[in-house]
Amino acid sequence: MGSVFRPAANLWASLALLLLSLTLVAFSLLVWFWPHGDAARGVNWAPAQPVPFSHQHHVSGLGIDCRYCHTAVEVSTNAGMPPTYTCMSCHSQIWTNAALLEPVRNSLKDDRPLAWRRITDVPDFVYFDHSIHIAKGVGCSSCHGDVADMALTYKAKSLTMQFCLDCHRDPGPRLQPKDKIYDTRWRRDATTPAPDVLLAQYGVPERNLTDCSICHR
Amino acid sequence: MSSVNAQWRSLEELMQDPDFVSRVEQEFPMLGAALSAPRDRRQALTLMAASLALAGAGLSGCDGAPEGHLIPAVRMPSGVVPGMPDYYSSAHVEGGYAAGTVVKHFMGRPIKVEGNPFHPASLGATSPIAQAELLDFYDPRRAWGMTQANLPRSRSALEQALGEQRDKLAATGGAGFVILTGASTSPTLAAQFDALRKSYPQIRWLHWEAVGRENAEKGVALAYGGRFELKPLLQDADVILAIDSDLLSAAPGHLRLAREFAARRNPTRAKMNRLYAIEATPSLTGAVADERFIAGPRETRRILLALAAALLGGAPVEGPPWLDRIVSDLRANRGRAFIHLGPDHAPQAHALVLAMNEALGGRQAVYTLLDAVTHASSDDSLSLASLVTDMRAGQVSSLLIIDSNPVYAAPGALNFAEALGRVEFSLCLSATPNETTAAALWAAPMIHPWEGWSDARAFDGTASVMQPQALPLYQGVEPYHVLGLLLRPDPPPALDLVRQTWNDRLGGAVGDAWIDALAQGVIPNSASPVSNRPLRDDAARAALPEPSSAATILLFRPDPYLLDGRYADNPWLQELPRPLSKISWGNPLLISPRRARELSLANGDVVRITLDGAHVTTPIVITPGQSDDCVVALLGFGRRHAGPVGRNIGVDFFELMGRSCAAPDIQKTGATEELAGTQHHAAMFDESGVYARSGALSQFLADPGFVRRSDEPQPSFYEWKPEGPAAWGMSIDLNACIGCGACVVACQAENNIPVVGKAEVLREREMYWLRIDRYYDGPPESPKVNFQPVLCMHCEEAPCEPVCPVGATMHDAEGLNVMVYNRCIGTRFCSNNCPYKVRRFNYFDFAGEERRAIESRNPEVTVRARGVMEKCTFCLQRIAAARIVADRDGETASAVVTACEAACPTQAFTFGDLAAKGSEVAARRAGPLSYALLADQNTKPRVTYEAHIFNVDKPEETQK
Repeated sequence: MGSVFRPAANLWASLALLLLSLTLVAFSLLVWFWPHGDAARGVNWAPAQPVPFSHQHHVSGLGIDCRYCHTAVEVSTNAGMPPTYTCMSCHSQIWTNAALLEPVRNSLKDDRPLAWRRITDVPDFVYFDHSIHIAKGVGCSSCHGDVADMALTYKAKSLTMQFCLDCHRDPGPRLQPKDKIYDTRWRRDATTPAPDVLLAQYGVPERNLTDCSICHR
Repeated sequence: MSSVNAQWRSLEELMQDPDFVSRVEQEFPMLGAALSAPRDRRQALTLMAASLALAGAGLSGCDGAPEGHLIPAVRMPSGVVPGMPDYYSSAHVEGGYAAGTVVKHFMGRPIKVEGNPFHPASLGATSPIAQAELLDFYDPRRAWGMTQANLPRSRSALEQALGEQRDKLAATGGAGFVILTGASTSPTLAAQFDALRKSYPQIRWLHWEAVGRENAEKGVALAYGGRFELKPLLQDADVILAIDSDLLSAAPGHLRLAREFAARRNPTRAKMNRLYAIEATPSLTGAVADERFIAGPRETRRILLALAAALLGGAPVEGPPWLDRIVSDLRANRGRAFIHLGPDHAPQAHALVLAMNEALGGRQAVYTLLDAVTHASSDDSLSLASLVTDMRAGQVSSLLIIDSNPVYAAPGALNFAEALGRVEFSLCLSATPNETTAAALWAAPMIHPWEGWSDARAFDGTASVMQPQALPLYQGVEPYHVLGLLLRPDPPPALDLVRQTWNDRLGGAVGDAWIDALAQGVIPNSASPVSNRPLRDDAARAALPEPSSAATILLFRPDPYLLDGRYADNPWLQELPRPLSKISWGNPLLISPRRARELSLANGDVVRITLDGAHVTTPIVITPGQSDDCVVALLGFGRRHAGPVGRNIGVDFFELMGRSCAAPDIQKTGATEELAGTQHHAAMFDESGVYARSGALSQFLADPGFVRRSDEPQPSFYEWKPEGPAAWGMSIDLNACIGCGACVVACQAENNIPVVGKAEVLREREMYWLRIDRYYDGPPESPKVNFQPVLCMHCEEAPCEPVCPVGATMHDAEGLNVMVYNRCIGTRFCSNNCPYKVRRFNYFDFAGEERRAIESRNPEVTVRARGVMEKCTFCLQRIAAARIVADRDGETASAVVTACEAACPTQAFTFGDLAAKGSEVAARRAGPLSYALLADQNTKPRVTYEAHIFNVDKPEETQK
């Protein structure tokens, strides 16, 4: 009786085993690293919104300040989303018949709020406070990216714990001058004061910013 | 637990019951039971596979792309800042009396109740019940509609029926129409009743409370010949005698009284007062008394007569030997001595005590007489008993019941339900369906007090306008609207009625006065005037009624948290361990150790009580410090027509009420019931056996530092330096703690602590971050009581931290021992290693399983998932908020007040920064009475206690 397998079968078996183990390794790596990757976090992803609102047009084009709509950003944990009334303060005068703005007009007419898709979020066990970051020289763009250049708003940073800690461990280089906080195009350049100077100027306190209790409650 | 503790928590512990000892020695007592269950290899593999799969699912399920929506308002309500809390004043009304509260809102949703510091009956504190009102507000059972004969009807049908009643009232002049409601102090309600009487002269109304203060009111009327309110001024009372009294736990204004009492309890800060208590069954007042004497109902009568003879003159009556000491102490402190009698005593006894108080010369100094605050019924002769007689006789054709549940809470002998069946038209207004709504012809959901305009007065008469905290969630009906419909078809809204009441004081238009009254929660200068009415000559002459001659007298007392059963549906109040028995989810009959021995009863044995033909079966609990002459039944349980929380929990003792005073027959049935008592849960162990340290004033005066022990860690060689900008710490004054439980519920509300239910309490899995341990000291017949609130000690050398394999419990720079829930994998090593037993494990998804509106939770605190450990955080969210404000606005941090500290009526808690200049908490820690719990473990706790001093020495020695 002849042999069932030819000599080449040894090679195929080894290759199959190798492939299997590589697949397993790759799968494990994927399971481990995928959740930390930008894709899983929805970075650069702009979901469809009830109204295709353009920050680029309103901020860069018209020069509206962030705080015109996100009114609570300096005093509250939340930045605040603009109520329909804020939109209509202009759009009752201009583009009053634009089809794009139909949902906004309907919201006012029916007294039903607009439901915007969430773009940036931190997990429920993280307590982020906008006001303290603004007060201590962390500009909008640090977490939200160059919003003024976004035709459709998308998530620009991963907002993982690693992302937060990078800054909490060494805030100095990322601090922005007081008058540039709301300038999302700001970049550190030669005229920017040194990190130490900014740290002192903002009086970033002697707190241990990497304590668990700073963000988790 | 090898040695007998000098302080003991339960009789089993005192007796060193071997089963009990082996059980409490285990950290996870139910683990043994679980492990002894039969299991096989297959099952083990199945469980392993399942846990691996779930772990995998959990890991890959880590948060990914953001989900959900951001929903801004169409038009932002003015004053609301998204993400920041708002506060609106209100009041918690109990027995008609208001205690001011401030309701904390997030985005328009009430999430927490705080006390109102401007309100004289609150002074910033709350009762546990006021805290728990939040759950009642969100109770989904309030969503029920109008019913007629238990069939759904529309609102307009009800209004039409009320229209017919209006026509009938006009025709009959009100004859046969009766309104039954609870005690009330609302001037607006009184005005509406007056308007009704003006239109229909023969209409009658009855203010009735199942557990009311009728006797005390009648006693005042006997003594002074009118309706007055007695206001104790405890801050100036040097000697207080409390007889069966609820002075510190339930009397009108008890939060303020407790504050005034406690302000004079710590000898390092004030000259101590002295409290004597004489009582049949242990109460909070008795527990904190310097000297407590046990006297059964029969003996109390003799004691009152002996006291009267000694203080008022007359033929001497022989009292117990210890009474002479009390009498001489009262006499020696003439003008600064006060006697308080509990509401269960007869009016004549109250009149007698009032006469004694006058004789002691304390009027205006330690108590005053004010014009009455509560409203009287339409005529003095009207009582619940006479109403039922009239109903039976067919003299009541229409009965309107507002926020009262007589079918459940009327004495069983009256058989109110049967009498109600004879009334042609009955309408019951109630927040949730109950026994009375089921029996009445018409029933309608009533709004919660937070949903409408109203007003109420405090025990001293100070009025508050109660504003709506939200629009009605479940389309309830306003009582004012129903009463208004009896007058005209289009009654004015409640706001107009309230405005009209306060027109003189706050102005007709919405102006500063009105806004200030709402913002402060009190109407300025609205307190009742002090009365100069002299004592009637015959006040002390009324004969005291003879108590029953039975060997054992059945006494009825309201449950401290469910009261007359109205809060039976509130899970926070059901689960809160009762201050002395430490039992939750039930009301076993309280029986003295000797009587239990005679009947050979052990804790949990079920007995059958027969009284005048009626009987109930109930488990018993042996109560140290109770008189042998009585057994005590706690009311408010055994609701038959309540929600899933309260239905058939415990025993309904109203059934036995109102029966003749014949001796109750108590027979052992042989059955037993497990009692969800927490007294032996989370037991600590100390070689000395003393946890709540205490001593006599003489010991303190001789050696102020007498509570410190020689084996305790000495001051360190190294200078203590805070690591961070603040060093948080707490000092708890055991002299002030009266064990009321307000802190426990406040903590539960603030920190989203779930309720676990009776079955899980029996498995020692209650989730309280803050518990109040109750220790007994001395013989079981008459022990001394020490309360000790225990929370996470935030040890500087925390034993929980090094044993955590995943770094889920860490120390921060400000000295907080923090818990990182999302790191925790549930090994429970930390809990095992915690000497104070303050860590709580989520064996199940307790928070997820709660039937509770998500909106009612505190959004500032993580809701913990299954399988994680949790514990007190020192209200980290409050620290963080203060920290952010300080850093952001460049001001010094405002004082952080923890939830327990805010709620505490006696200011037993002091929390703050140990490193700050002039820090109160640092000063208290440095005080001579300060000690650390289990100090020999060298954990360096950030929480310390001030030992409990009893003022038990001769009067002249009390001088500092």
